[in-house]
Order: sequence, then structure tokens, then C-alpha cells
Amino acid sequence: MKWWMRPLVRLVAAILLPLVVPALITGALWALPGDPASIICPPGACDGRDALAARWGLDQGPLHFYLNWISAAATGDFGRSWTLMAGSPVYDEMVSSVPWTALLVLLALVPLVLGTVLAALGWLPKVLDYVWQLVGIAPAVILALIVAAYITITWGATFGDWRPDLAKLVLGGLVLGVADGALAGAVLGTRAVFEEEVKQRYVQIALLRGETVLANALPNVLPAMIGQMRGRVLHVLSGAVIVEVVVGIPGLGQLLWDGTMKQDFGVVLAATFAFSAFSGLLMLVQAISEIAVALYVRRSPSGVLEEAVQ
Amino acid sequence: MSTQRFRALWLAVGCALLGALICAGMLAPEFVDPPNLDHVSKDEYGSTVGGLGFFVVEGAPLGTNEYGVPLHQLALQGASIVAFPAALAGLLVMAFATFAGLVRCADVAWLDTALQAFGEITGALPRMVVVLVVALLLPYDWKYLLPIALVWAVLASPAAMDEAAASAGRLGGARFVEALRAHGFSAIRIYLYHVVWMNLRPVIVRQGAEVMMQVVFLEIALSYLALASNAPSFTHAENLNSWAELLYLGYSWILDRHLGHAVFLSFALIAVTALMAQSFRLAARAR
Repeated sequence: MKWWMRPLVRLVAAILLPLVVPALITGALWALPGDPASIICPPGACDGRDALAARWGLDQGPLHFYLNWISAAATGDFGRSWTLMAGSPVYDEMVSSVPWTALLVLLALVPLVLGTVLAALGWLPKVLDYVWQLVGIAPAVILALIVAAYITITWGATFGDWRPDLAKLVLGGLVLGVADGALAGAVLGTRAVFEEEVKQRYVQIALLRGETVLANALPNVLPAMIGQMRGRVLHVLSGAVIVEVVVGIPGLGQLLWDGTMKQDFGVVLAATFAFSAFSGLLMLVQAISEIAVALYVRRSPSGVLEEAVQ
Repeated sequence: MSTQRFRALWLAVGCALLGALICAGMLAPEFVDPPNLDHVSKDEYGSTVGGLGFFVVEGAPLGTNEYGVPLHQLALQGASIVAFPAALAGLLVMAFATFAGLVRCADVAWLDTALQAFGEITGALPRMVVVLVVALLLPYDWKYLLPIALVWAVLASPAAMDEAAASAGRLGGARFVEALRAHGFSAIRIYLYHVVWMNLRPVIVRQGAEVMMQVVFLEIALSYLALASNAPSFTHAENLNSWAELLYLGYSWILDRHLGHAVFLSFALIAVTALMAQSFRLAARAR
């Protein structure tokens, strides 16, 4: 397989992902038994379903609905909520929820990036691996529950205070960073990649020449490290749904959960679109990084030929 | 203790815990006992302040909730919800990992590439988001843990397949198979014994056990979120109670309800599930 094949597949997938995910949900919505409009207006509970279906673009089939929705989403219009906040624009909810999730994910990445860097530099003793593994066994829901209990006990009765919100974000981020083996994976995964690379002959020769392991191995392990980091960000995003609901952070995960419980396809479509767009962005970053690293590694070093001739 | 005995011990522990989980699921009552206010904890004014602790009242060895319902019945029902779907999800991931490892050894390039593409696609979205969308789209009659567990297993399989394929690759892939074939071994012996049993077993068993544990935790998380939202869970029927119910009861403990034993029980059940997965992992460790 040519070296550019994998990044190219990732580039294509990154572009297609935000388009395909809403298409699949729309297709499944129409494949379900019953009329999609009956979710908004259940038979026997309200009148004028046909008029409602026409107004919401549900009367002309899935393709028409999808094309309308995706073209509007491209301009920032994510349609309207079906049941959760019936009739109100989903965009407003998205605007208020995305920053919370972004902050939570960023805070969760702090222990993960620290663990990765320290493991790459070899500064974390192997003895501590058992600690990471033991902490990593704890599921996010349990740790989030402990955080929620702590916040309730400490600030339960206070209103208009910024401290509980800050505690929710910081402790929620910490939960996401360590629960379900996230930190253990970051430390052990990074160490495993470097240990494997150090066995290579070029690193051994570089060491004999007095060079460092990191400077030599890093360009070659970088694609694997970037891939691992993308996996970890997705893992954190997955856990964010649980942490946001349990701890009470009004983020995108909470919005998706509420939309799911209320069968609000308008909200679910928008939330999954946001998640898939972010996931596509991560894929794009990975593909571009892989291409950049591959070009760097393949670049012929200057002066080698002259040295060989001499 | 020799390594072999050590592994045998962990295998026995893992099997015993898995057996206990399945037996508990089979022994679970269809409906829990009706509320019994004689079996609750009351303050000096006669108001209910929680449940009774361990072995306080006959017929409820693990205590009661604040309505006097025995907690062991909730624990048994929780086991019945997770036992079969979790085991099946674990087996599915093991099958995927085995397949990927064998494909790498068989040197079928197009299938190997197809499996990598499958991994890229299924691993592209956060798992919980996919699970929620699937839960939303499931018809009402299918709102049980099994379809969600299988979806989770499919989403978790790329990591398992990658690791199994990498292990097979480190063996030498097709060259390893050729070398054994030169010794006159049959294809079944080479693939099933030398490749899968002798070399891929640690990866396959660990990944299967981890997914089994993850499905149990996923059920607890989804049911807890549903309880917190005051909505029915999409992982089980309404007559059943998840282990999340015990966690939820335990959360009331911080409000000075007498339900500390529910916290202890729910944490113990989660610890036992984790121990089961770790036991299988240690039992299958490479020599």
C-alpha cells in the first residue's frame, strides 16, 4: 500500500462523515414503522398532522428532508426542536452548549497530554503503572457520581455562585481524563510505542552517536501517537455524555441525552452533526499530520551525498 | 506459586464470578416484593428515613430500600439484565479479534485492508453518541440491552482487531504459518492452536473480558442517566431494576437517608465485575 493511501482515505472520510451521519439518521427515521410527523404530533393527541408535516418538511420523503436540513445546517441553521423545546431553534441550544463541552474536553485532555508527554520522556516510573490501571478500572459514571455528591454537599444550597460551575468543569474534566482507562491508556500506550521504536537499529545507532531517543524516534512514532490521541479525544467525548448528565453540565452531551429521551430528532440530528463534524475535524488533523510527517521523513537530508563522496 | 498455577487460579476466579453472575441472573425474580413499611428505618417520630442494613431483617440479607423492598432482589434483577448481553458482546469482540488475527496470518491483503477500513469507519464517532442514536432508533419492542450491547461490541471491535492483527504481524504473519507448514502441521492445528491459542489468546481474552465489563458499566450508566432524568430506561423492561437503582438509592445517602448499605452493595457489584474482567485478563496472560 502506498504511504499516501491511508491519509487520503482519512481525508475523504473526514469530509464525508458529517454528511453521512445525518443521512443515516434520516434514512433510519423514515425506515421506522409509522410516519415521522407522528413523533411531533402523535395520533389522537393532536390535530393537523399533515399541515405540521408540510411545515416541517417531513411530507416529501427522506431525501427532500435531508437535502433541506444539510443545506440549512451548512449556513448554521440546524432547524427546530421537535419535542424537547418544541418549535424553538436548535441553533440557540447548540451555541449555549458547545462551549461547555469544549471546556470539559479541554480540561480532560490536561491529564492525558501530561501523561503522554511524561511517558514519552520516560519520566514516569513503571511502578506507577498499577496505579493508573487501578484508577482506570473505575467507570466514568461512578466517579462522576462522587463528584456530583461532593458538589451537592459543598454548594448544594447556593445560587448565583460561579464556584460550583467551575468545580463541575474541573472535576468533570478530571473524571473524563482518568476514568475508563483513559490515563492508563495514554501512559501505557505511549510507552509501548516508544519501547517498540527504541528496539529499532537506527535508534540504537543514534544512541551510539550520542543523540537522544526522542529526537530520532519522534518523527517515526508521531503518526501512531496522533492516532492514539484522536482515539482518546473520541473516548473523552463519549464519556462526556455521561459526565455532563450526572454532574449537571449543560453541554452538548446533555443536549443529546435530553433529545434522545424526548425522541427529539431535530435536536439529535444537530447534536450528532456537531459530534461528527468535530470527529471529522480530528480525522482531518490526523491525515494532514500524517502527510506532513511522511514528507518530513522522506525528505532527503542535505549533505549526505557530499559526505559519502568525500 | 508457578506461573501456570497463578493463571489457573485467576481462571478459576474469573469463571466462578462469571458463573455467579449468570446464576444470579437466572435466579432473579420477575417482580420484586411489594413495599413493606415494617422493613424500613424510622426516626423517633415514626417517619421513614431509609432502609434497613445488612442482615437486620429476615429475608433481606443485603438490607432493604426505603420502601422495605429487599436489595438482593434488585441486585439479582440487575444481574439478569446484564449477564447474557455482556457475555455475548464479549464473545462477539473475541470473534472479531480472532478473525482479524487469522486474516493477518493468512496474508489476505484485500481483506486486511477492508478490515482496516471498517475499523476507521466504526471508530470514527464517539461510542456513546452512536449508542444513543441507536437507542433512539430502536423500535419499542427492542428496547433491551442486547442490541445496544452488540452495537457497543461492534464499535469496540476495531481496537481489538487492530491489536490482534498487530500481534499476528509480530509473529511473522504469513511467514510464521509457512514455517509451521514446513514442519508438516495441518492448517487447523496451525491456525487454531499455534496462532490463536498459543499467541493471540492473551489479546483476544483481554479484549473480550474488557468489553464484557464495559457493557455492564454501560448499562449502569444508561440506566442511571434515565433514573436521573426520571424517564424509563431503554436497556430493560419497567418491571426490572438495574444495578443503577442501587447507585441511585445510594446517592440519597448524602441526604442523610439510611441507605449507605445500598452504596456499599452497588460499589461491591461494580468491583466484582471489574475483578471478573481482570481475572480473565490475568488468566490469559502471555507466558
